[in-house]
Amino acid sequence: MPSKTQETVVNNPYFSDPSKDYVFKSNIKVFERSFGGILIIKKLGQAQHRIAFTTEMGNTLFDFSLEKDHLTVNRIIKDLDRNILINVLKKDFLALVTERITSIEKFQKGAKVLQMGFLLGKKHYYWFENGELRKIIRTGNGKEKVVFRFSGISDNIAQQIEIEHKNIQLRISLKSI
Amino acid sequence: MRNLFPSIISVSSKPAVYLGFLCMFLFVLSIHGQTKMNPQEAVALRTKVKSVAETTETISSDFTQYKHLDFLSNDIESKGTLAFKAPDLVKWEYTKPFSYAVLFKNQKLYINDEGNKSNMDLSSNQLFKQLNQLITASIRGDMFDDEAFRISYFRQDNGSLVHFMPKDKQFAEFIKAFHITFNQEGEVDEVKMIEPSGDYTHIVFSNRTQNQPLPDAVFTQ
Repeated sequence: MPSKTQETVVNNPYFSDPSKDYVFKSNIKVFERSFGGILIIKKLGQAQHRIAFTTEMGNTLFDFSLEKDHLTVNRIIKDLDRNILINVLKKDFLALVTERITSIEKFQKGAKVLQMGFLLGKKHYYWFENGELRKIIRTGNGKEKVVFRFSGISDNIAQQIEIEHKNIQLRISLKSI
Repeated sequence: MRNLFPSIISVSSKPAVYLGFLCMFLFVLSIHGQTKMNPQEAVALRTKVKSVAETTETISSDFTQYKHLDFLSNDIESKGTLAFKAPDLVKWEYTKPFSYAVLFKNQKLYINDEGNKSNMDLSSNQLFKQLNQLITASIRGDMFDDEAFRISYFRQDNGSLVHFMPKDKQFAEFIKAFHITFNQEGEVDEVKMIEPSGDYTHIVFSNRTQNQPLPDAVFTQ
């Protein structure tokens, strides 16, 4: 039987080292279309990250600062400057980079641990195997809305990250370079 | 929800976005030991570059790209190759640390993103067509268009540095300035493309060969 206990904190280690530049070759698939680019994430301070997306050739498409749950747009090209899009990205990036949140519930069975906490008022389930964070699942109305999968994990770096939206045809694939 | 994402889709279809991206072909450099040229020197440089451009049938070159963002500890480095064949065949290919190629051919832009192939038609878009012409001109360094750019000329240790500031507002939204370094033969050595934020992309060419036969197979997707 899985055991259910209280746990105070959930830890996501993947964007927690301020000395590292996290750089990913990225592919975004939306409604059967796909395009690529380079996603760059840098931890600048406690609960503070800079997140930029450029073309392969270096042109900046957007550049955000995320501090706690507040997003500042430093730059975004006109074609992408839509609130609805920025909000989707904000929620995804917040789940991706937030290091510590209060854990409300914890379930454990052997080497598998599931913890639940809230980000922007939404339930997020953190799935650990052998101490490694493998998945984050955002839910709404009791259903999976977005699944973040981490693989190729070594030394607190995930070589591959997949962000799959269940309610819209949007999938973001990140490969560490 | 479908209507929520036209903007994302447009990254692969709107010329405005590609403008910046294409302009990478245009090019780069740093700023030391430079002195402003007098008008005669500037004319002499333009004449030399134009003459080199007119006699250039093919170019093949390696390049190293440094993407500088002020908040990063290190520039993001990538490497690849460039192939050009007159009048307007261009292939720009990254090989490290990822595989990504763009090819301009027959009024189309072909993209090969780690095996995922796509293309877009350039012929229906006047802006894009002009951009393509500009890219082709710039690979040879011949982009001295006073109507499109405010241009400044500098001498430096082993050649010349030219600053091109786009006059077009849409263009300037992507790139504040191109700094192109020419060697003493009037060939493009380096290109620096500076964004409005001050972040920049710096491309350094190496192992450049000119007017050596390039098989058509080079210009396939």
